[in-house]
Amino acid sequence: MSTRHRRPAASRLVWPALAVVLAVALTFSVSTHSGARTAAERAAAIDGNLKCPSCESISVQDSSASTADAVRQVVLARIHAGQSDQQIYRYLESLYGPSILLRPPTTGITAVVWLVPVVAAAAGLGGLGLFFWRRRRPVAVRVTDEDRALVDRELARRLDDP
Amino acid sequence: MAGVVLVVVAALVALLATRPPATETEVFTPLLGKTAPGITATTVSGQRFDLGSYRGRFVVVNFFASWCPPCQQEQPELVTFAYQHRHPGDAALVGVVYDDATSSARAFDTDAGATWPALVDPGGQIALHYGVRAPPETFLISPSGTVVAHIDGAVTASYLDKQLAAAGAAGA
Repeated sequence: MSTRHRRPAASRLVWPALAVVLAVALTFSVSTHSGARTAAERAAAIDGNLKCPSCESISVQDSSASTADAVRQVVLARIHAGQSDQQIYRYLESLYGPSILLRPPTTGITAVVWLVPVVAAAAGLGGLGLFFWRRRRPVAVRVTDEDRALVDRELARRLDDP
Repeated sequence: MAGVVLVVVAALVALLATRPPATETEVFTPLLGKTAPGITATTVSGQRFDLGSYRGRFVVVNFFASWCPPCQQEQPELVTFAYQHRHPGDAALVGVVYDDATSSARAFDTDAGATWPALVDPGGQIALHYGVRAPPETFLISPSGTVVAHIDGAVTASYLDKQLAAAGAAGA
């Protein structure tokens, strides 16, 4: 007969419920950020990802500087010319370098910026998992003949001693 | 101990005081080694300008503004440079007005005795195509139309000559 006790039904439903919530959230997020967008919406999204060339850490979208205005004009003109978002980012990067992007690119040396948190999180989760796994693992005790003899002697002594 | 500190501080002060002022800095631009973006514009005095007509000569393109202190600092140096290179076929100097009123830029050039064309840049599109962030920024364009140097900050005539010599020696 198994000595394992079954977890309550509510507890068993926690993980599937969390998975469903996550899937719904992801689906909602993707569906609201895709689909046909107007040129102005696309331009606003791109402007929000670009750093104002003459400002300190302000996006083109949020800046009133003349350089930001020039970038906004170029972005809109290139959208109307039928260019993709990536083509527009690449074009501006070819003029100002990668520092024009508020989000560092995921290639080259700047990929480290993205990789370090992922690797650190994975290492942390792995470490936690290992810690709990080792705690739950039953400790294997090796009983030697000497141990058995010691126990026998002690039992015999106690039986002899009323 | 205090004597040692005093000597070190004095040596540091002497070292810094004798260093040349850090005005110009040659900085990387993605345009380096690439064909210079074309410029067709109107000067502050209303004449047409086409960078393409300068092919075969070194061209110094200087982005400036009358309100910018380093631009005010470098203006006499640019006047010297333009005078030294006044002969036909020599290096040409071109200014591009950066985020400034045309009248202010015109007065700025007139007061300094500038003889080179200063271009109006409506909407900052010339500056954008050169990736300019803040004036003064100066680009050296080779006779074949390639960007061979980008200088951030106020330039001097001697520094521009060094850049010209280096670019010439490199066969630009």
